[in-house]
Amino acid sequence: MPISPDHLRRVLNPRSVVVVGSKKADAYMWLRNYSTFKDGPLYSVQIDPNEIPGIEAMGVQNFTSLMDVPGDIDYVMLAVPRPVAPRVLADCAKKGVAGVALFTSGFAETGEEEGIRLQEQVLQIARDGKLALIGPNCMGLYNRRLGIRQSAEQGAGEAGDVGFISQSGTHGINFGLVGEQYGVRVSTSISIGNAIVLDVPDYLDYLADDPETKVIAMYIEGFKDGERFVRSLRRAASLKAVVVWKGGVTDAGARATASHTGALATPTAVFNAVVRQAGGLLATSLEDTIDVVKALLYAKPATGRGMGLMAMTGGQSVVITDAFVEAGLEVPRLSEASYEQLRGFFNIIGGSYQNPLDMGGTIGYGGGTGNMKRLFEILDADPHVDAIAMEMASGFLARMWASNPASLDTLLDTLVEHRDRSSKPFVAVLQPQHVEDVVRQARLRVQERGIAAFASFERAARALRRAIDYHRFKAGLD
Amino acid sequence: MSTSTIIAGARKEGRSLLTEIEAKQVLEEAGVPVSPARLARTRDDAVKMAKELGYPIVLKIVSPQITHKSDVGGVALNLTSADEVGAAFDGIIASAKRHVPDATIEGVAVQRMEKPGIEVIVGMTKDPQFGPVLMFGLGGVLVEVLKDVAFRVVPINERDARQMVHEIKGFPLLEGYRGHDPADVARLEQLLIKVSQFIEQHPEVAELDLNPVFAYKDGALAVDARIVLD
Repeated sequence: MPISPDHLRRVLNPRSVVVVGSKKADAYMWLRNYSTFKDGPLYSVQIDPNEIPGIEAMGVQNFTSLMDVPGDIDYVMLAVPRPVAPRVLADCAKKGVAGVALFTSGFAETGEEEGIRLQEQVLQIARDGKLALIGPNCMGLYNRRLGIRQSAEQGAGEAGDVGFISQSGTHGINFGLVGEQYGVRVSTSISIGNAIVLDVPDYLDYLADDPETKVIAMYIEGFKDGERFVRSLRRAASLKAVVVWKGGVTDAGARATASHTGALATPTAVFNAVVRQAGGLLATSLEDTIDVVKALLYAKPATGRGMGLMAMTGGQSVVITDAFVEAGLEVPRLSEASYEQLRGFFNIIGGSYQNPLDMGGTIGYGGGTGNMKRLFEILDADPHVDAIAMEMASGFLARMWASNPASLDTLLDTLVEHRDRSSKPFVAVLQPQHVEDVVRQARLRVQERGIAAFASFERAARALRRAIDYHRFKAGLD
Repeated sequence: MSTSTIIAGARKEGRSLLTEIEAKQVLEEAGVPVSPARLARTRDDAVKMAKELGYPIVLKIVSPQITHKSDVGGVALNLTSADEVGAAFDGIIASAKRHVPDATIEGVAVQRMEKPGIEVIVGMTKDPQFGPVLMFGLGGVLVEVLKDVAFRVVPINERDARQMVHEIKGFPLLEGYRGHDPADVARLEQLLIKVSQFIEQHPEVAELDLNPVFAYKDGALAVDARIVLD
């Protein structure tokens, strides 16, 4: 009996949570991770009398048996030693718990007989007890809105809009942590572990239907049922963008995959084709995944590939052009009407306006003049331009932004005004250069204003290209 | 003979590999454009079939024991008259018997010598995770060395077929490189869809190779075909 969508929704949006096996040795990790959960009771189950005072000192009521916990239980984090996991899981079933995340590891992933046997036992108990089991060998759920986290460093409170499914606990946690630094917030993220009951398609189906989730991303290494994955991916991609970051794409990486999750390898070229055919977008790393998600969230949808490019100097104009063309986008000549207008005011001494617009001398140091607004208006009106990218010249300007924050705000006002008026996607490039610390602060300001900023031309170009690919797929193009 | 009869026949004989003639009949029935091949058991058969198919003609030995046909003098190309076909038939049978005395010789395959086009290949293998996967690429060195191929899971739709043909790096060759005629890309795409439909209807097909397929400016034609059953 598969877990129903309503059942899974309850487990991933719990109103009552129990941590079994919290202990001092890991500084009560799970209770700390869930300390931001305020939408219902949080209880502990621990039988070791030496551990109980520490748990109670955190203000959490402890029981020595799961059976004694009052009320319905939606979600249990089970972090007990491997030999007792089946017994506690059986208690969960008896108690009628809706879902369990089994943090405990040492099951089939070890390849040893005892681990495989225990996993079979766990599977049987979960099936018989109709338990929505996450894992084993996983970090469970991250629901930002409810404050149920995989790490105490992850954010809590306001709901994010990106769903994440991860076959690795590390990448799942990092997507939440790193993403937040780049303006990408998680709605629901699940570390799926060995996925013996709930698997990638179950979570994908859930996130596809989750109204909080606007974009879905995942880190996967392999599957038990490729054809079912394709069906779910196809359906999800017809509803929202799905970014697939696959680990183990090289032969050596595939060997590592086999020992990590025991997945059967499909040639990378075939896997990539499968994802493309189903309407998914491929990503190659954590940073790349975050970039694509960011382009999908922040840039307006468009299906055209013509770029209008803006850079501050001649050298940057050349390489920004190369980067976007290399990514499969186009940098066309502008319309005669645009050139007509540009001729009227564009400073061609040390600049040019063929597209790219080498505009440093025209907009003035820092971009505070009205000319920048005029350039945006021209590109926005140009029929050959489908999307716009701009170099923010952080190497020259970041120190000024730091000493005079109003100068950055003035620039951002212009960008935001353009972004709000234009229906074309807009991305900014904010390179760390030699002023990484200052640029980080600037980036957070840029993100707060809802502008997608990328750390390099290549990253901006590749991210935007895939966002456009998705909108083309949706529109039935290509 | 219908597809099911051919497949049942091969199974009965304990064969998983269809002969070229069988493979082509099966594909023809599925609407895949193939250069037809007929089995001639006698010299007179061969001459008659050659006349029906039209010259120039190619003859190939058909024997389950002989896989490398040209090594045993089992192939004759570019035959342009009934006399040439007749003489070549006798020559092929005699040469094959001399080289492989205990071979069971079923006869000789008669087919048209097709005018050359741009060589492409279409293949299908089964992936343990995703089931039948269709492959498209340019023939010869481009597929063997550069692995310049595109894959899609069966079944494919029109968009998939279009993307397969367009996404190979060698696509400009199909657009008419250096004054050559451009290939009929639409017909190539149709061929891919027909092959996909055939595979969908015949899950017992384990492997398929159309190599080469000639892409012409006004059509596409599978010149050789290989089908392996589960």
